[in-house]
Amino acid sequence: MNDFGPIFRTLLRNKLGALLIALQIALTLAVVTNAAFIISQRADDVARPSGLDEPNTAMFITTLFDSNVDQKQLRRDDLDALRGLPGVVAAVPIQSIPISGSGWGEDYYTTPEMTSDESINFGMFMVDEHGLESLDLELLAGRNFRPEEMTERSLDSFEFPRVTIVSEALADSLFPDGDALGKTIYDEPNGEKPIEIIGIYDHMQNAWPHSDNVDRTALIPAYANFGGQMMYLVRTEPGRRDAVMAAGEEYLAQNRSRIVETVRSYEEQKRRTYGGDIAMITLMSTVIAILTAVTGLGIVGLAWFSVTQRRKQIGTRRALGATRFDIVRYFMVENWIITSIGIAIGIAGAVTLNWFLDTEYNTGRVPLWYLPAGMIALWLLGQLAVLLPARRAAGIPPALATRSV
Amino acid sequence: MFSYYVALALASMRRTPVLTSLMVLALGLGIGAFMTTFTVYYLMSGDPIPHKSGVLFAVQLDNWDPNSPPTESAEDVQPQLTWQDGLNLMRADTPATRQAHMYSTGAIVVPEGDDPPFDENIRGTYQTFFEMFDVPFLHGGPWDSRADEERASVAVIGRELNDKLFGGENSVGRSIRLDDNFFKIVGVIDDWQPTPRFYHSDWSRAFQDTEQIFIPMTRAIDEPMAPRGNTNCWAPLDESVPVIEAFLKSECVWTQFWAELETPDQVAAYKDYLDNYVREQKQAGRFPRPLNTFISDVNEWLDVMGVVGNDNRVQLRLSFLFLVVCVLNTVGLLLAKFLGKSGEVALRRAMGASRGAIFRQNLVEVGTIGALGGIVGIGLAWLGLRGVESLYNGYQHLVSLDPVMLATAVGLSVAAAIAAGLYPVWRVSRLEPAGLLKTQ
Repeated sequence: MNDFGPIFRTLLRNKLGALLIALQIALTLAVVTNAAFIISQRADDVARPSGLDEPNTAMFITTLFDSNVDQKQLRRDDLDALRGLPGVVAAVPIQSIPISGSGWGEDYYTTPEMTSDESINFGMFMVDEHGLESLDLELLAGRNFRPEEMTERSLDSFEFPRVTIVSEALADSLFPDGDALGKTIYDEPNGEKPIEIIGIYDHMQNAWPHSDNVDRTALIPAYANFGGQMMYLVRTEPGRRDAVMAAGEEYLAQNRSRIVETVRSYEEQKRRTYGGDIAMITLMSTVIAILTAVTGLGIVGLAWFSVTQRRKQIGTRRALGATRFDIVRYFMVENWIITSIGIAIGIAGAVTLNWFLDTEYNTGRVPLWYLPAGMIALWLLGQLAVLLPARRAAGIPPALATRSV
Repeated sequence: MFSYYVALALASMRRTPVLTSLMVLALGLGIGAFMTTFTVYYLMSGDPIPHKSGVLFAVQLDNWDPNSPPTESAEDVQPQLTWQDGLNLMRADTPATRQAHMYSTGAIVVPEGDDPPFDENIRGTYQTFFEMFDVPFLHGGPWDSRADEERASVAVIGRELNDKLFGGENSVGRSIRLDDNFFKIVGVIDDWQPTPRFYHSDWSRAFQDTEQIFIPMTRAIDEPMAPRGNTNCWAPLDESVPVIEAFLKSECVWTQFWAELETPDQVAAYKDYLDNYVREQKQAGRFPRPLNTFISDVNEWLDVMGVVGNDNRVQLRLSFLFLVVCVLNTVGLLLAKFLGKSGEVALRRAMGASRGAIFRQNLVEVGTIGALGGIVGIGLAWLGLRGVESLYNGYQHLVSLDPVMLATAVGLSVAAAIAAGLYPVWRVSRLEPAGLLKTQ
């Protein structure tokens, strides 16, 4: 590195040009680290398991518009038909779909004295005894619902269930000592509406993926008859989902007193629910790609130009005994110095930008290891970008030095 | 002279095609990215009803759980009202010019003939809605106030639905079947799409289409047609009465309420009125929290509701930094390019061109690069907006490039290029011709 000194002094002669690249590098580092952080956060969110057998699950939503039809009988017929379709593992009537963005939030109270600010909020799902299997939930303790425990909820009657099965996360929130099974809890303050926890399942997310209690869920044995809307969730054997969706739709559509609003795979529903996050991931990835390309091309352009400007000097150096490698190294070291200055400014920039985004828009704090990762990436980018012009410089013949003098 | 400079600029750009295309591309990318996010942001934060946004006020009453955290601003209060409070205010003689209570519901539309039934969102509201929000009518008009009192089966439908059901004919006087019931059409609305759809409370759908069916809220409740959208409850329902009755008189919030207040005096009087209303209700044992009522005009309301998402703001900020990087890039490239022109500049100076002339000539070149960058940027912004449209559900009213945006894009690009070029151009115009000519 004994030519570091001369290279640095040469840079000082064209301070502005070097500073411009350094600033570009700095801003690129600041933007790229923050964008990459946003991507990783969103990707983590989307990748969380819902608890369902995602690739083999489909949902059907239908709405009845003829009040003369017996909705309860229709539901029994629908379920018989859906459960009889080839390829169906299990089917359940349900009033909302996990991670669909639309659901029912409730509070459980562990003691009659508890007030509403102390109660535990969770996502409630009304299902029958096929719920566990349809939602692919593993019963860790206790038992499933029994048919005689089912209740009906409608605008005329509001039967109250006596039992519930809760997620492990909800069980732990309600009873941190881990002895939730068999306990009596309350659906309302003042000890009204006691419910027994008869089972605990492993994990299922509620309807709102961005809620802070996304893992606290519970099943209750109830049929929902609000308006004409009826919703079914069907789990299929691997590879049979699309066929089941088509056959199920065909069956449901036979009844002319209703419309089949939605037939959708669970994967598609998840993509829709996370649409904003997926969009953010795509946009931030695009920003990183294009920004890196612009900065890289800028370095190529400027180095190319500087090679053209210094043809004579390079020829002279070659004539005085510098090897091709010396010339390449000159440009690489020059770029390394500029990039390093940029990175030094960029680290401050990245931290400031993250502080701003976090304070204003709650994006969270970038973990520290993003900075060295970004630094290495930009050093590599600079070195790669300068390689092509540097090789061109190395190709300048020593004889050039003698020509126009 | 200008056209001569443009010709010189084009000739100079042809001499360094790589450098020139790099500059145009960099500027274009920067402008394209920025214009994409800016267009979305600009349309999102736009005033949906500019001529009336200052006189329309959303009403919030804090009827919530006494155990919830204390209320400090309108953001902490439920954005919706209970049905009973809305009904009481509609019936009262308040200082407001107009008031409208409303909620979101839906039904299956069953067309005559063989066309398949389909689901439609419906707004249950009052006759005042249409005049208050300046809804344009194609045929007929709003129902009269008697229809609200008598819970009449009347409907106002949108142009799109009118085209679908009646082939675009004047359908006033005909009827539409919603679930089991027939509603008489009294008016057909022309295209009407306030962006964002501010009167609504479902902000995840703030940029989707307006409803195609409006019916009296009194009639919809009578049916009852269940609310769609958020319903929030904190107190248990009264179980001594039928569910629907218990729900209607509950503390559950699921309706929206707007008031038209034309003068500051009226605003103050209305606010007092609301405060007194809540005090009265407190005596009846409701509203257990401290007195908190809020009225917000349309633009304040959009802020309270946080219509422009944090993601949009982050995108706008990052794309602005992106544009800055592209401009820095262009400054560097321009500096390089112009210093490379020293010889030519020296020659022109020696031939009698003044410094000012050199400055102007090169500025024209920079401006030309900027204009080209702007055009590339518009193309890229168009592509970017198509991309954004496909990424987000319900952005269909947010991704149009209007003339203002197009002009802004080109203007911004030229401005960015000239800002980027000012120093290089100044440098090159200060060159001393003698020294440079000697070395040639």
